[in-house]
Amino acid sequence: MMNSRHAALEFIILCFNFFTMKNLLPFLLLALVFGGCQKDELPSAKYSFVKPAHFPEPVYPLDRNPVTKEGFELGKKIFGDPILSRDGSVACNNCHVKGVAFADPQHPFSIGVDEREGLRNAPGIANMAFMKEFMWDGGVHHLDFAPPNAIENPLEMDEKMTHVLWKMNQHGSYPALFRKAFPDMGDTITSPYLLFALSQYQNMLVSATSKYDHYKLGDANLTANELEGLALFEQKCAACHSGILFTNQEYRNNGLDSEFADLGRGKITESPDDMGCFKVPSLRNVELTKPYMHNARFKTLEEVLDHYASGVKPSATLADELQQNGTLGIPLTPTEKARIIDFLKTLTDHEFIQDTRF
Amino acid sequence: MKKFLFLTTLFFSIALLSACKKDEEKATFGTFYLQFDNIVGDQDLTIADAASSDFKYTNSLDQNFNVSLLGYYITNIKLEGPNGEVFVDPVTTGAAAADVKGIYQVLESSTTSQTIGLSNVPSGKYDKVTFTLGIPADIVQEGATGGVLDPAEGAWLWNWDAGYIGFAFEGRSPASPVAASQWNPENSVQIHIGGWKDITDNPMMVNNVKTFTLDFGTSVSVSDKLEPKAHIEMDLLEVIDGHHGSADFTSTNQVHTPAGGTEFAENLHSAFVVDHVHQ
Repeated sequence: MMNSRHAALEFIILCFNFFTMKNLLPFLLLALVFGGCQKDELPSAKYSFVKPAHFPEPVYPLDRNPVTKEGFELGKKIFGDPILSRDGSVACNNCHVKGVAFADPQHPFSIGVDEREGLRNAPGIANMAFMKEFMWDGGVHHLDFAPPNAIENPLEMDEKMTHVLWKMNQHGSYPALFRKAFPDMGDTITSPYLLFALSQYQNMLVSATSKYDHYKLGDANLTANELEGLALFEQKCAACHSGILFTNQEYRNNGLDSEFADLGRGKITESPDDMGCFKVPSLRNVELTKPYMHNARFKTLEEVLDHYASGVKPSATLADELQQNGTLGIPLTPTEKARIIDFLKTLTDHEFIQDTRF
Repeated sequence: MKKFLFLTTLFFSIALLSACKKDEEKATFGTFYLQFDNIVGDQDLTIADAASSDFKYTNSLDQNFNVSLLGYYITNIKLEGPNGEVFVDPVTTGAAAADVKGIYQVLESSTTSQTIGLSNVPSGKYDKVTFTLGIPADIVQEGATGGVLDPAEGAWLWNWDAGYIGFAFEGRSPASPVAASQWNPENSVQIHIGGWKDITDNPMMVNNVKTFTLDFGTSVSVSDKLEPKAHIEMDLLEVIDGHHGSADFTSTNQVHTPAGGTEFAENLHSAFVVDHVHQ
């Protein structure tokens, strides 16, 4: 008798706390969902891949590996787990940090196990679902195959896929999480499912809500300086940094050096035409992803534009775009550089880097 | 898509089969075996320990060597016969190992991997086999795949230039000047033939995936009671010391790029010969 009265009292207090804790809205939504509403899309919709209206069709075969809440959250957990590295010291998000659009916030060359220094600057991770090839040299043609690069590179995680899977199968929570995310998987975690989870997470990292996007979609205005910068950008930069992704997804030698310490694309194609060429990076969130270039040569956007204006070095494979009319580089006045940088900053996507799902 | 096609085919095959039951003449099926036997010239190929200094084999430059790893991927197998018989071994892919069918990794270190049993071969006569050596573009472009293509289960995934090594040979030769390192034993020889990209606008991309047809020299019959076997010999010397290219181990001892493997890929066809068939 006492017990049940006590319980009833507790329940009333609980309900009171619940409503005063401003939990009313989720409660009502929950009530809606369970109360006979057939379209319970709300919770899961947040965790399915949605192509922004002004973006092209994704390249990634999402029908083969559709994003689910469980798969996405598993991918997010793995992305942040140093279990992928040989000595448990390096996770993906050591070098791909959300606050700087998943680039490396501090190291010119990323730091792997035993403080080993890598060979290239870690690029940001955004809009991967729309990319045809990955890495500075495009050696990887499919997002699923990107993680083994970092996992098995002796300068990065220096681990073996076989051992990663062994560790995950011994782990206290991964086996259950994988089975929940991939009901067809069976009892043992195998690498395709690990790679599927990581791809689901990365496919969701869509950056399409910058000031520029809002401007494109007609719900924000750019300032006069930003508009001037946009016009200059389209005239002087958009041959390579083209389209809504701000990359033509091709490979160019942008005149950093006349001799190449890193062959870049040439190492993949083994073609003399590609020596010293690197992937044209997307410029989305470029304000956040310093330093710049595959070899982290420049610390600021000003330095980058100074390079294009007056620092381009000649070589056999130098991009045609950087030697128009017999002149090296892109003619830019100091004011033009400043306006272009004004525009580039409209590509910073604060909603993206503050998205609590990621 | 492939899986769908396979399932559709399976469904229609079953439908057809059940329909046939009513007829007087039943369509029957049997199993055809392909057995791969690896040799080095006139010697049988046996696997040595990675550190072994027992060099059993010799190339045309009188360089001795041994073999610590030898294997290759076979897929897209097709049998054909003199009377229009055709059997295509279905290829399916997926994340689950059980969904990966028609792709085989033949390893010298695994006897069971050396025999491929093709089931549901329609009864009839067969006199040649066609197969692809290496993992072709359509499969590589699917993305992460299980079974023999799972890098955690022994698949040869090239991760820096994503794709699979189609043919792998590793061993040692006193002629190789390679010093011991974390990747290689001393005197290491590694020839990995990979590269699958046939990409438009990029003529330099190398595709080392080869498809070829081997004649049995006779025909054998498959039925529900007859299970013939073709013995295919693969001569490693033909691959690394053949008509299109020959590895001098003093300079060619670490082949790990598509272009580096081209000449050896050209040798692959003549390295595979049907030695004999059992009825």
